Amino acid sequence: MSDSETTSKRVSSMKNGFLVLPFRQPKSKVLPSKTASYHYVYAKMHSSKNEGEQNCIFVVNLPMLANTESCKSAINAICEKYDTVSHLESLVHSDEFGLGEVDLSALTSDLMTNTEDAAEKRFTPRNTALLKFVDKASASNCLSALRKYSSASKSSIIEWEYTSPSIQTFLNYYKPLNIEYLKEDVHTHLSIFEQREQQAQEDVQSSIVDEDGFTLVVGKNTKNLNSIRKKILNRNPLLKNSGEGVEKPQTAVDKKAKRDFYRFQVRERKKQEINELLSKFKEDQERIKVMKEKKKFNPYKNSL
Amino acid sequence: MTATKRDISQVLDKDEADSTQTVPKKVQNTKENQNPDSEDDNEEDEDEDEEEHTHKGKKVSSNTASYDIHVARETAELFQSNIFKLQIDELVQQVQVNDKHILKVEKFLHRLYDLIQQVPDWEQHSITDVLAYFKDKSVAIPFVDPKPAPASTNYKFNYLAPDVSLIGSFALKTGIYQPQGSSIDVLLTMPKEMFEKKDFLNLRCLHKRSVYLAYLTHHLSELLLKEGLGDLLAVEYAYFHDNPMIPILKIKCREDAPRSHELNFYKTKFSINLIVGFPYKIFESKKLLPNRNCIRIAQEDPEVPLPLTSLYNFSVLSTSTFEPYLKFLYKCKKQTESFREASILGRLWLQQRGFSSKISQSGGLGGFGNFEFTTLMAVLLNGGGENGNKILLHGFSSYQLFKGVIKYLATMDLCTEGHLQFHSDITYTSAVSKYMPEGFQTPTIFDKSTKINILSQLSVNAYNMLKMYARETLAMLNNVVQDQFANIFLTNISKSDQLKFDLCYDLKFPRNGSIESDLLSKFTAAERIKYITVENFIVHKVISVLKYALNDRISNLEVELIGHRSTFPITKRRPHAATPGHQFNFESIRVKLLINQEEAEKLITKGPKHSDSPSHEAVLFKGFWGPKSSLRRFKDGSITHCCLWTSSSSEPVISSIIPFAIHRHISENLVIDNNITKMFQSLLPLPNIAASSKTSVLNLSSFYTLKKSFDDLYKVIFQMKLPLSVKSILPVDTAFRYTSLTQPVPFAYSDPKFFQNIILEFETSQKWPDEITSLEKAKTAFLLKIEEQLSAEHGSKYKSFFTRDESIPYNLDVTTLNVLTPEGYGFKFRILTERDEVLYLRAISNARNDIKPALENTFLQFTSNYLASIRHTRTIENISHSYQFYSPVVRLFKKWLDCHLLMGHLKDELVELIAMKPFTDHYPYSMPGSVENGFLKILKFLSQWNWKDDPLILDLVKPDSAYEDQMEVSIGGSEIDSSTMKKLSEKLTLVQYKSIQSNFRNLRKNDPNGLHLQFFVASKNDPSGILYSSGIPLAIATRLTALAKVAVNLIQTHGLSKQTINLLFAPGLKDYDFVIRLKIPNKLKVSSGIITETEFKNLANADAPTEFPADLDRLSEKMDPTFHLVKYLNMKYKNSMIFSSHRYIGVNGNNEGSENVVTGLIKPMFKKQMKFKVNMDCDAKPLDAETVVLNKESIYHEIAAFSNELIGKFEIQ
Repeated sequence: MSDSETTSKRVSSMKNGFLVLPFRQPKSKVLPSKTASYHYVYAKMHSSKNEGEQNCIFVVNLPMLANTESCKSAINAICEKYDTVSHLESLVHSDEFGLGEVDLSALTSDLMTNTEDAAEKRFTPRNTALLKFVDKASASNCLSALRKYSSASKSSIIEWEYTSPSIQTFLNYYKPLNIEYLKEDVHTHLSIFEQREQQAQEDVQSSIVDEDGFTLVVGKNTKNLNSIRKKILNRNPLLKNSGEGVEKPQTAVDKKAKRDFYRFQVRERKKQEINELLSKFKEDQERIKVMKEKKKFNPYKNSL
Repeated sequence: MTATKRDISQVLDKDEADSTQTVPKKVQNTKENQNPDSEDDNEEDEDEDEEEHTHKGKKVSSNTASYDIHVARETAELFQSNIFKLQIDELVQQVQVNDKHILKVEKFLHRLYDLIQQVPDWEQHSITDVLAYFKDKSVAIPFVDPKPAPASTNYKFNYLAPDVSLIGSFALKTGIYQPQGSSIDVLLTMPKEMFEKKDFLNLRCLHKRSVYLAYLTHHLSELLLKEGLGDLLAVEYAYFHDNPMIPILKIKCREDAPRSHELNFYKTKFSINLIVGFPYKIFESKKLLPNRNCIRIAQEDPEVPLPLTSLYNFSVLSTSTFEPYLKFLYKCKKQTESFREASILGRLWLQQRGFSSKISQSGGLGGFGNFEFTTLMAVLLNGGGENGNKILLHGFSSYQLFKGVIKYLATMDLCTEGHLQFHSDITYTSAVSKYMPEGFQTPTIFDKSTKINILSQLSVNAYNMLKMYARETLAMLNNVVQDQFANIFLTNISKSDQLKFDLCYDLKFPRNGSIESDLLSKFTAAERIKYITVENFIVHKVISVLKYALNDRISNLEVELIGHRSTFPITKRRPHAATPGHQFNFESIRVKLLINQEEAEKLITKGPKHSDSPSHEAVLFKGFWGPKSSLRRFKDGSITHCCLWTSSSSEPVISSIIPFAIHRHISENLVIDNNITKMFQSLLPLPNIAASSKTSVLNLSSFYTLKKSFDDLYKVIFQMKLPLSVKSILPVDTAFRYTSLTQPVPFAYSDPKFFQNIILEFETSQKWPDEITSLEKAKTAFLLKIEEQLSAEHGSKYKSFFTRDESIPYNLDVTTLNVLTPEGYGFKFRILTERDEVLYLRAISNARNDIKPALENTFLQFTSNYLASIRHTRTIENISHSYQFYSPVVRLFKKWLDCHLLMGHLKDELVELIAMKPFTDHYPYSMPGSVENGFLKILKFLSQWNWKDDPLILDLVKPDSAYEDQMEVSIGGSEIDSSTMKKLSEKLTLVQYKSIQSNFRNLRKNDPNGLHLQFFVASKNDPSGILYSSGIPLAIATRLTALAKVAVNLIQTHGLSKQTINLLFAPGLKDYDFVIRLKIPNKLKVSSGIITETEFKNLANADAPTEFPADLDRLSEKMDPTFHLVKYLNMKYKNSMIFSSHRYIGVNGNNEGSENVVTGLIKPMFKKQMKFKVNMDCDAKPLDAETVVLNKESIYHEIAAFSNELIGKFEIQ
């Protein structure tokens, strides 16, 4: 519990520029609490060309169930300490439980994704998030306060307040969904979808005719094209390991052709058979060798 | 040894004078020893005519392709497959007796021979003189009961030097290495002059032999002392093959014997049996036929014929015929290349099944050992068909010989319908063996030359077991798909009675001896001459009582005398009672049953029909059952004598029949103990349904009630008018395949499996949205329509509501319609469209590489939940009707898994498939016929299976015993039948099996140690083998194996008892990094539908819900909040930790179902320091500017804060 305190003095920043921000954790009634324990958040100014991600601080390892409110109050407390002001707009890309790691919708169709976003798909590693500030000044004020905080004395470390879910929170997962809400949701969603589909249809109709006079009519996600379908089916993870067994179906010509017409055919076939037999025999011998090494031939094994 | 040599060479002189010559010298003798062995090794499989050529080939270059081709081709023809032959070769080599050991023990045998020659002759003495002679000697005379009375014994006893020879497998060189040591049989034949013509009567010759043996023992021990061998050897009396009429002298090397002694053969583990035999043909063998009486007793009514003394007759005759049989077998061995190898196979096969040559009349599986096996093989080489046609040919390979004998045993009846007849006289060349269609109601292979039935020591009961094993082995040998070698030869199935048999009962005698005198009084003179010993008599009685009482409820049984001894010190006349004050040569009797699943649990034992004049059967029935028997009228109008039994949830019906029958017919005071079965059955959660404690474990009515309720709902929905018409409504959940841990109980909605999943499919439509969220929304729209109609038209009966479904990762828009039926069950409907699969596959194909695995997992989840579950449910439901005990066994297994916190990590389907293994693939054992048997077999399987190297391939079909019987018969039987039968069967074909194997190999190519996927479980339904097992963390997979190993080890070392069974079901929480005890405000046990154990059952369970709350929001009050807690913990710390908990809080969370436990395991990678990285995904604290370490304290605080309201205790290991 106390090894970080005893072994070395506190680390205030990491080599790659991340500030180390300790937060004292509230005492727990069920855990031994001789010394205080700390949660460490790592922060760095975020630089991105993305319009929406200006004025951001990139944070790693936020405490459990952190949200905009809790971040705001922590930042305010720190800024207050160092007499500065900073306005946090929101906490973005925080996905503590990994629910949104994969956007199935975007992967199956581009119809429902917002076009602006789609162009700039971003990837946030798990356990990281962005603190988005109202303006550049706020962000840099905050960062400098954080820098001071990271090397401040132990006594000035502030306590993080957790919001604990209640039993009811967990039980609520079992509760029925509100039917009216569900109906409304389905209705709005489907009408948007239909609208977009319609739009996409029209876009295709009016799409540009290329040099050769052909009109491009299919996207990569079209449902009815056989070649694409086949390509997709090849992705089936259940068939990944069955490399063999996909044999070409016999054609009508193959069926008719005689296989023992020429003498060489018979000879070849015999040769092949013998080779097969031999290779199988060798294979079996190998297997026996392996089994022997594993002592698989002891009839007196001593277990049940 | 010269004598030995002489004996064998006599045979050779006559038959093969050219090939071998008499070798009286010791040196040559040992050479001879090695020669045949090495010859055998080289020649093993070649045909005689090719032998020369191959030998040369081998010498020149044994690696030439042509040689290999030759061997490969030949073995493909002569053996089932190449691999089988290679396996046999290895096995035979593995069990070879060490030549050095043979030399060592032979050295001693020579010395022993010399010593025996030094025993002085003894003149004729009367019994009084004999008794006086031995009075002051330390050696006792091992008389057979009753010992000769001095008054009525007027024949004389003497000792003349015997004729010494080696017999048995040591002489034949068919012996094998056995870890417990082997015995060498030395025959001492009493000279002819010692006998009179009528000595075979009234035990006379036996008494003469006993005195002979005692005299020899006395002098031999004195000689041993004189020669300074006293501290080298230990001698004791023993019964040859446990037969109390044949006492022998057993010589062993002492463990503490001086190592330096040149004759010390302790390490060879050999022991030497000195068997005293009678000269061949000394008595008129006709008079000793099995159907003669040779012990005369006084009888009141001289008209009544004396009882037959077949066992006595056999014991007399068989000890005079050792030599002729040795010659018979030796000749056969010489003529048949692979005889030795086949007899080794036979010996192993018998050993692994617990068979031996020991007399089976005193319990156990005896009467068929290596001698009987090789003799049968020799007999079949000389004929064996109905017309004397040869069943086996001399040129057969060892595999063919072995299979031929097994097939004969499996398919030919030697007991009731016919018997086998042969001539052991090797001089009678035209003799052929014949199958005679006349049964003697006792297993019979009759030797016309010696007038002996060589199966005399094989009881009908043991014969039935033998036949059953032969049938199973034949099926295994015929199996061309799976490799059954290990099952046939390598697995010893008699290591544990609980695995070999379904039910075991111990009959224990109270200490006061009251039962013994009672039983002894029933053991009359007539019984005595028939059974010889009271032990045999009791065994016979127990078996016949049980057979009559249980009839077709059991398929086979074995009775074993626990603590039975067959060796005793030379100072005693016979073996001591096992416990002092006890009169019998055993402590208790163990009854072991293999049950007949179809009949075992029926409540009525039907007797004969009632008639005005009582028939013989009716009298017998009434007499047997006494007050239990009653007359009942059946539906068809017939009136029949019956006994009525009651079933129970904790005990099979058989457990109430056995005590009744045993107490009534053996003794009132016997204590009958079968707590194991009771304890295991009581572990199954008892459903809160009327009379559930009186319901058999095999009763599935609670499942049927649920199905009925579903059928009603099904009709309602099918008739609805919807934009698309309903194509199918398919149940895919556990209750529909009888595998849910808790039985379905109405209104027990706390049970995690209360809502049973149903898949709804509509007719094909092109209009489903081509985007996944919209597709799910469209599905919801359909479900909303159904809900609307259901509440409009059937609102008074059915209630329904929607919930989100999280079964498919990343698809957050799945909703299900949950319907509550008026009968009190819940069903969860979800919709499957033909578009789903394409969309999930498209997602994989469009995804960037690093998230592909996640999407593949999503696809697998979808496939297993929506597609494969349909096939799985159908298959399991269908075949489980044929495997009656599957349902209770798999439910107990699930309880065990949940007890050990594993159920949350394993899919139900995977668990069910693993549990199916001992049923569909039960060889070499029989199919489980009790809860404990099935459960222990699963544990055994898990503890021994190597997932890394072996794919589990299941053939999910019904048992084929029904038609396997007709498939092959040694004599007659058409081939067409068997081939059509094979075609009709739905078993896996070789091609399918091979392709699954290749799937496995390909999988392991990329992941040789199975780090990503341990369990490969494939069947026809899922040839990929990964559908249900992908995504199981390695730690969990290895924990399952480790737990099973610990369990099996525990049972092996401490046996099954209340303590060990409790330990089996005690979770080992110490192995985790930390443990969190949770307490929830509600008690969920009763509302999970499980009866709580209190004195007043009705009171305790009165608060069980009997209806659904009017406000469906309130359903959640009785649900388990810990499930979602653990789910979120696992989601948050997915990368660095694994959390486990009881999934069935009503079953495994204390007595009330209000506690749960969460355990955490930190992945090994995160137990050490690591470089700070943005994407490290764990809560870490810095050590220096570059390295960090997992911040456990912080995580513990977070978890404590997260589970704030539920947490009771946080234990850090």
